[in-house]
Parts: sequence; C-alpha cells; structure tokens
Amino acid sequence: MSDSTINAPASLAAMPSKRTIDVVNAGLAKRYRAEKRFRIYGVTAIILSLCFLTLLFVDIISKGYTAFWQTKVRIDVHLDPEVLQGENLQTADYPGLVKKSIRNLFPDVQGRKDRRLLNGIVSSGAAFQIRDLVTANPDRIGSTVQLWVPADDDVDMLMKGHMPRDVPEDERRLNDKQLAWIDQLQREGRLQKTFNRILFTVGDSREPELAGIMGAVMGSVYTLLITLVLSFPIGVATAVYLEEFAPKNPWTDLVEVNINNLAAVPSIVFGLLGLAVFLNFFGLPRSAPLVGGLVLTLMTLPTIIIASRAALKAVPPSVREAALGIGASKTQMVTHHVLPLALPGMLTGTIIGMAQALGETAPLLMIGMVAFIVDIPGGFTDPSTVLPVQIYLWADSPERAFVEKTSAAIMVLLAFLMTMNALAVFLRKRFERRW
Amino acid sequence: MKKLVVIGIALIALVGFTSALQAQSARDYISIVGSSTVYPFATVVAEQFGKTSGFKTPTIESTGSGGGLKLFCAGVGVEHPDITNASRRIKKSEFDTCQQNGVKDIIEVKIGYDGIVMANSKKSAPMKLTRKDIFMALAKDVPDPSGAEKLVPNPYKTWKDVNPDLPDKKIVVLGPPPTSGTRDAFVELAMEGGAKKFDYVKNLDKKMFKATAHTIREDGAYVEAGENDNLIVQKLEKDPDALGIFGFSFLDQNADKIQGSFVDGVAPTFDAIAAGDYPVSRPLYFYVKGAHVGSIPGIDAYLKEFTAEKAWGEDGYLSDKGLIPMPDEERKKFASDARSLNPLMLQ
Amino acid sequence: MEASQTAVNGAASATASQLLVDRSHRETIGQQFVENPRMTCRNVDVYYGDKRAINNVTLDIGSNEVIAMIGPSGCGKSTFLRCLNRMNDYIDICRVEGEIRLDGQNIYSGEVDVVPLRAMIGMVFQKPNPFPKSIYDNIAYGPKIHGLVATKSETDEVVETSLKKAGLWEEVKDRLDQPGTGLSGGQQQRLCIARTIAVNPEVILMDEPCSALDPIATSVIEDLIDELREQYTIAIVTHSMQQASRVSQRTAYFHLGDLIEVGTTDQIFTRPGHQLTEDYITGRFG
Ligand SMILES: Nc1ncnc2c1ncn2[C@@H]1O[C@H](COP(=O)(O)OP(=O)(O)O)[C@@H](O)[C@H]1O
Ligand SMILES: [Mg+2]
Repeated sequence: MSDSTINAPASLAAMPSKRTIDVVNAGLAKRYRAEKRFRIYGVTAIILSLCFLTLLFVDIISKGYTAFWQTKVRIDVHLDPEVLQGENLQTADYPGLVKKSIRNLFPDVQGRKDRRLLNGIVSSGAAFQIRDLVTANPDRIGSTVQLWVPADDDVDMLMKGHMPRDVPEDERRLNDKQLAWIDQLQREGRLQKTFNRILFTVGDSREPELAGIMGAVMGSVYTLLITLVLSFPIGVATAVYLEEFAPKNPWTDLVEVNINNLAAVPSIVFGLLGLAVFLNFFGLPRSAPLVGGLVLTLMTLPTIIIASRAALKAVPPSVREAALGIGASKTQMVTHHVLPLALPGMLTGTIIGMAQALGETAPLLMIGMVAFIVDIPGGFTDPSTVLPVQIYLWADSPERAFVEKTSAAIMVLLAFLMTMNALAVFLRKRFERRW
Repeated sequence: MKKLVVIGIALIALVGFTSALQAQSARDYISIVGSSTVYPFATVVAEQFGKTSGFKTPTIESTGSGGGLKLFCAGVGVEHPDITNASRRIKKSEFDTCQQNGVKDIIEVKIGYDGIVMANSKKSAPMKLTRKDIFMALAKDVPDPSGAEKLVPNPYKTWKDVNPDLPDKKIVVLGPPPTSGTRDAFVELAMEGGAKKFDYVKNLDKKMFKATAHTIREDGAYVEAGENDNLIVQKLEKDPDALGIFGFSFLDQNADKIQGSFVDGVAPTFDAIAAGDYPVSRPLYFYVKGAHVGSIPGIDAYLKEFTAEKAWGEDGYLSDKGLIPMPDEERKKFASDARSLNPLMLQ
Repeated sequence: MEASQTAVNGAASATASQLLVDRSHRETIGQQFVENPRMTCRNVDVYYGDKRAINNVTLDIGSNEVIAMIGPSGCGKSTFLRCLNRMNDYIDICRVEGEIRLDGQNIYSGEVDVVPLRAMIGMVFQKPNPFPKSIYDNIAYGPKIHGLVATKSETDEVVETSLKKAGLWEEVKDRLDQPGTGLSGGQQQRLCIARTIAVNPEVILMDEPCSALDPIATSVIEDLIDELREQYTIAIVTHSMQQASRVSQRTAYFHLGDLIEVGTTDQIFTRPGHQLTEDYITGRFG
C-alpha cells in the first residue's frame, strides 16, 4: 500500500512539466480551423449538388411545362346524314367532315395544295374525336356540333412560341399563308390553349399532339408490380436464410460471392438472359410487362438481398438473445423480432432496387419492350413499354413538338419516382412506429 | 393484414402466369421489328391502321435492319415477328437463313426512299461537297496527296486541305455510330462513291476496297454522336463549323436551324431525292412473313393501309413525315405485289 | 486472517502473475455437490474454437437456492451460465463437452429440445433488453408462443401477476401500451425479469443483472431476487461481492475457466479455502 503512494509522483514527474491545459489551449485554434474547414467542405458539396439538381430541374421544367397545355381549334362540324346515314359508323368518312368544316371557315382558299395546307392546321385526331362522338350519340347525326379539337403540332409549337415567325418563309414549317390563317382563327377566338388531357389519358402516338404517357405509365406499373411481388419476398427470404439459418460452409460462401457479383453485372446482361430463358425457352410473349418484371426482378434481387442482409446484421444481438432466452424457436425469433426491426432497412433497399428498375431501358431492349406501342396495356401480357423507354423514343423523334413532350415525360417519371419514395417512407414510418 | 398481403401476392402471380399461358397460344396484334430508319414511317402507318381498322395497333420495335431480319428469320409462329423493316434489301445469306428456318414465303415491299444528308448550321454558308471530298475528309486512310499510289493516314485537317474550293474550316463531322443503319448507308453511298473516283483504289481487291472505303477516321475529326439525331441537330446549332450526318426527315423538321450540304452539285431536297438526283439516298423496305397472313389478324389490312396512296403516295401522310415516295409506276407494281402476297425470289 | 489462509493452502500461494501463466486444470475445492440438485454439471468443458473457456467444471445447483458465480472478468462465468440453458448453441464456434442434467435429464442429449428447455430455464441478461414493443407485449410474448394463455383475460392476468412479482406493476399499470424501451434502466431490467417469470420457469439464470443499474435500482432487484427464491432456483453471475453475499446461499468462484472453489456464501466470504479465492475477495486482483 505504502509502495504505491511513493511511486505515484515519480510516474507523474516523468511527464513534461507543461500543464495539459496549456498544451491543449495552444493547439485549440488549429483544431477549430480544421473543424471549420471540414464543415465548409461539406456545405460546399451540398450547395454544389443542390445547384446541379436545380439546374437539372429548371432545365427540364422550363422545357417541358408547356407540354401540359395544348392548342385547340374550335370547328363547327355538320354531322352530315348523307355521309353518316347507313354507313358503318366506325369507318365513315370523318376526315372528310373535318375538312369540310375547316373549308367552311376559309371559303376563299382554293387549289389542292392550299387546301391540303389548310387541312393540316387541325390534327388528324379530330376525325377520331368526331367518330367517338357519333358512335356514342348516333341521335345527333344531322345536327351541327361545335367542337374543340387539337391543333396540329406545328400550330401548337407556333402558339407556344417554340417556332419563330420572323425567319424567311422557306425555313419555317408553316408558310405565310398558314400563318395568316392561324392569325385569323385567333382573331375569331377559335384558338385556345387548354390543359393537355390527352397527355395523361392515352398511349403513344406519332402525332405529338395526340401522344400520351398513359400507356407507358401503365406499362411501368405492371412491370414494377411484377418486380415488387417477386423480388421483395424472394430477396427477403434469401437474405433471411443466408443471414440467419444457412450454415457457414464453402457453398454458402460461394452463393454470397455470387450475389455480390450479380449486383455489379451490367443490366443489359439480364436482358440477354431474359431473352434466352423467358422468351426462347419458356416461350413467354415479347414486349410483355410480365417478362419485363421477371428480368428486372433478376436485376434488383442482388440489391434487395444485400440491403436486407445489412438490415438483419444491424438488428442488435440483445433482441435475439431476449427472444431465445424465453424459449422462442429460431424461426419465431426471426419472424417476431428480427424481421420487424430489419424491415425498414429492407424497405429502403427494396425502394432503391425498384427505383433502379423504374429507370432501366437496357435490359428491356432485348425482350421487346423498347417499341412503339399505342394501345394502353390492360394486363401483364399485353405489349407495353415503360416510362424511360417512352422518354427515349420521344427524344429520338424528329418532330420538334416531341422535345417538350420528352421533358414532360421526364417530369412524370420523376413524379412517379417521388410517389414511390413517399410510399416507402410512409410504410417505413408505419413499421418503425411499432418500435 | 399479413394474410391479405400473401393472398394478394399469390393472386397476382396466378393471374400473371395464367394470362401468360393464354397469350402464348394466341397473339392478336401484329408484331413488327427492324430498321430505325423505317421506324418513324411504319409507326405512323401502324397508328393510323390501329385507329381505323378495328384491329389492335401493331407493336413496332426499332432493332436495326440486321437485328430485325435476324428475329424475322428465326422461324414461324406467334413468338416470331410478322414483319421486319429494313433500310436495305435483304441479303442472300439472310434469305437463306429464313428458308432454313421454315420462313418460306417472304413478301417484299419497297416503300420509298430516304436521303442521308450532311447538314450544317444556318449561321454559316451551305457546303458544296462532292462524294470524293467526303471520302477524303472522312476516311481513315486516303490516297497519298503526293500522287503516289499508296494509302496514307488521313492528313487533312481542314476542308480547304481536301479541296481548295472549300472553306478554310476545320473538319468536324458529327455522325452516327457503327451500329446504325444510317452509318452503313452513308458509308456505302457516299464514301464508296468517293473512293471509286480513285482508279487504283477502285481496282484494289474487293476486301481491301471495302476496308478502305468503309473505315472512318478515328482522330477526332469524325465524332460519334450517338443514335439520337436530335442531339446532333442541337450540337450543330452550337458549332457553326460542324457538319452532321442524319436522315432527311430531321433536316425536314429542322429547316429553320440547319441546311443540307450539296453533294455532287445536288441539294438534298424532297424533289431531288424523289427524282433520284441526290446521290446519297437509299430505298426502304419491309418484309412480311407469308405464313402469318391469316393466322395473325390484320396483316393483309396493314399491307393495304401501307400501300394506299393516302399513305405512301405523293401527298400521303408518310411524305409529311419525310418519306420520299417512289415514282408512280414503281408504287403501282409494289402495291399490287403486296396485295396479292407475291413471295420474293432470290437467286 | 492472512496467516490462517496461508496455513490452509500454502502450496497454492503463488503470485498472481504466475497464476495467469499457469493454464493447467486446478482441482475444485469445497462443496460442489448438494443433496437434492436441480441441475448437475459434470466435467463441463467449453471451447470457443480451439480456445478453452471453461475447464472441467463439476457443480450442482440445488432446488430453491440462489447460487452466485463470481470471479475476475473473462474467467468464464457468463460462458458457464449460458451453457445451462444452451444459449451457447447459437454461437457457431462454441462447443460444449461434458454433461449437464436438469432433473436427471441430460440437456445436451438428442431428445431434449431447446425450446421447452428455455421455457423451463429462463434467463436475464446483463444489459436490460426489452423487446421494442409495448410493456404488455413484452410480458405476453412468452406465454403466447408457448401456448400458456388462450384468452385475452388469461393473458391480462399473467401480465399482471408477472409484473407484480417483479415489483413493477404499480409503476407501469397505467401505461402498459407504451414501449418497454421507454422505461428507466432499473425498470427495464425488472420488466425483463417479469418477462422471464411470465413463462413460469423453474430455474432462472441471471448474468450480472445489476451491472448497468444504479444502487437504488440494484437494491430493488436484489430484494426481488430474494423473494423469487421461494419459487425458483436461481443462478446469478455477479461482479459485486456484496451482491453475492446479500442474495446468495452458495457461491462459486471461477478463475481463468476453472471452478476454484464452491461453498456457502458465508464460508467463501469469511473463510475462503483457496488462495485465489482469498486474493479475489480481498481485492488483490479482479
Ligand atoms: N462469442 C465468443 N467467441 C469467442 N470467445 C468468447 C466468446 N464469448 C466469450 N469468449 C471468451 O471466453 C472467455 C470467457 O468469457 P465470459 O464467459 O464472457 O467471461 P465473464 O462473463 O466471466 O466475464 C473470455 O476469454 C472471452 O474472451
Ligand atoms: Mg460476463
């Protein structure tokens, strides 16, 4: 006892004579400078990425917001009984009716060429609009109806200011005559910009004014539904088995290494695999969301498995011990305690995987989902595309009016993504609230 | 709650797979694959067809001419496409593959022409090129400028180096990558045409000639700008000295921003291409699987729609989209061949 | 006291540093055996991989007694305790040899299932580990999975009696639906004890149940252990010799994987039979 009291000052004496507080104070300014620098780096990084993000959004929105409006022309269509009576109402000469009503607006336009130009002011969709009206109300045949029909995309571009008026005539897609007609229509109050309902209600079209995003949205919904329904349970089950039940041996090591490798495989490879397995071997239909979903499942599985395993690993061992300690079986421990705690993390992994899947086009190319598809898919095997494919196809179209449509489609894709994320956050919150 | 989720999952899976089995046994829409050049035209016809005929709208994939023919020739049956579009004629080898795989009756339909243009921004003067200039400016190896009969790596930096009549501007050409049909046609029509102007190059053996005429320089003068022609148009606006290579329809749609270069004294206009005066133009086709006519609903109606005057005629809606129509005679011949489903014979 | 110690065990009076090097097995002295044992451990060896953590331990645990296990940290107390309800099964590298019997039945034999075994031998851990669920669910979980309760009212009753036995009822009866993790450390540990006794086990293992608690919470739990003794057999690992002397009837002293000495708590703390035991309880190392 007395030994140690003698020894204590000796060991203190070995230390430098300066007081600790002095040493600390001397270095303090430097320490804080480093801290400040570090914080500045962080803030700069955040500002920089926010700038890029804003730039991206501003660019997309400024290019695309006009796509949500559409120029419409008011025409008075006489539903001529001579044209319609006794005809098959599906195949009657509706374009003729449209042409006639336009000609009535400009009675002094003569000559084949000019008339063709004149007819070009109104979209070819007008005829279908009249057809739908007549087939729904055959009793209106004989009357004259006033209709707002979509204008041609060139007119639309002009009205939205995407097409300059002040360039030489031969450099415009609309010549001086057409401009004069359009001005006349505008004076008469026959031109109007309205909300573009078409964009949100129909499938693709080669006429920009008739093209909609709904086919692609539904295609994405069906495809992602398949992906989610397959990849989440399979991914979670795989992760749970590997993490909780699998014995440690070379086989499970091999499986693990391969899952990690799969996560790094370029997505087009999954498309090739899908082509070989689902289309050629199982004979599933081309261009179908079912196959798209299967391929994207293969692609997202590794992401979900890896995230789920990380989430399982993060569950504190004390909870496992608690469950085992009162006699829960291993499966009960996993399902009652570990899984609920890991679920938020698993959901995060799943949403990352789904977001990836939502943005993929490469693997879908091989299985025929990069295609021009007009009809809105009504099921898992109807031909369909997905949102990013629609964006790609529109971006690649020669018509100028598809430029704004492309940006609008990107906005829809982003909205889709945000909805998905919000849903995941909501679910996560719900599960987390159960402690 | 949990049970409901499980049942839901099971139901969706069940519905998915049973409908898959059904879909496997019957396809009630036309499946079309093939060239990206024909794609803009075929899609317009398909849409029109779908809206007016009562049949479902065909699906059209842009797989490239070669890729389309490969899928097309893989066999007969619902899992194989009914029609393939091509920006060149079917090759003998492809035809033979088709025959081997049981695709016996193939109906060939030529639909019109497409011009490949070299265009630049309206901010600078239009270029007046010859195919020889194009070859000399873009080939990887060119005939020795000193006149010796050998090939040297392309030494030309400016258009003036190539031809003293051309402006003293750096050679910058934005064009499609090798996977594109436009590039194939450009190389074949413009570059080969230019290479033939040198006698000894022309007299090289066939393989050597092709290698010379088809290999584009990789020193930065030719920039692969991706498959997206709109992007090339945007880049041309930014760089008035650059030239871009793309299909006529893009020039047509962007006439306020860019202008086509003259080739061998001819400007790429609708009329010049239709008349066959513009040298860098090519015919476009599609091929129909005879065995599917009748079993897949609507194929004959689609053929009718495509070959109607209101579609591919002088004033048809396809010409609005930039397709250059065939002369009247040719149209008549192909229309009647198509409607009577005359199969193609290749020796 | 020092003199008597040397007299009893002169041969073993080596220095602490020498003892740390010496890894050969040391014979256990004292009363390893009791008359009516609940659990009997014979020649138990435990290995983590190649490393032996428990070295040939032979010990009885009697009915309705509290046996304390003490020893310097890392000496294998927890490891040994966890053998008693086979908690070590889930540590991959852990291997148990020897024989451990509960009421004559070898718990490591093939016929014994760990699920009913753990329902019989409950465990309370060093760090309070309530489930991240409500207080009610924490208690009700065990009875539910074992099928001890069928109706809501039965469950309510079990929850109430368990909480009452654990002395927690008055504090939480109004907030049974609130998370168990929201309680204070001492309350959490009593919740864990309540959760353990809700299954109505016969043996309770406690691994340093008070090491994370303040003195007041500790004394509450110590009182609780004293009450529980009437119904249960309790094995408690503890760091604190005061605690051992307060709650236990017998004490076992572990040292580097060996069971050095077992005796009545009174004897161990007043007349240790082994030099190492004495060194430990007099604070010479630990
Ligand atoms: N999971 C494990 N893996 C490997 N070694 C372990 C493990 N748990 C404990 N040990 C080792 O076993 C010995 C005894 O540990 P433990 O029983 O926890 O000691 P105590 O509870 O007495 O402090 C220690 O040397 C410790 O390092
Ligand atoms: Mg311990």
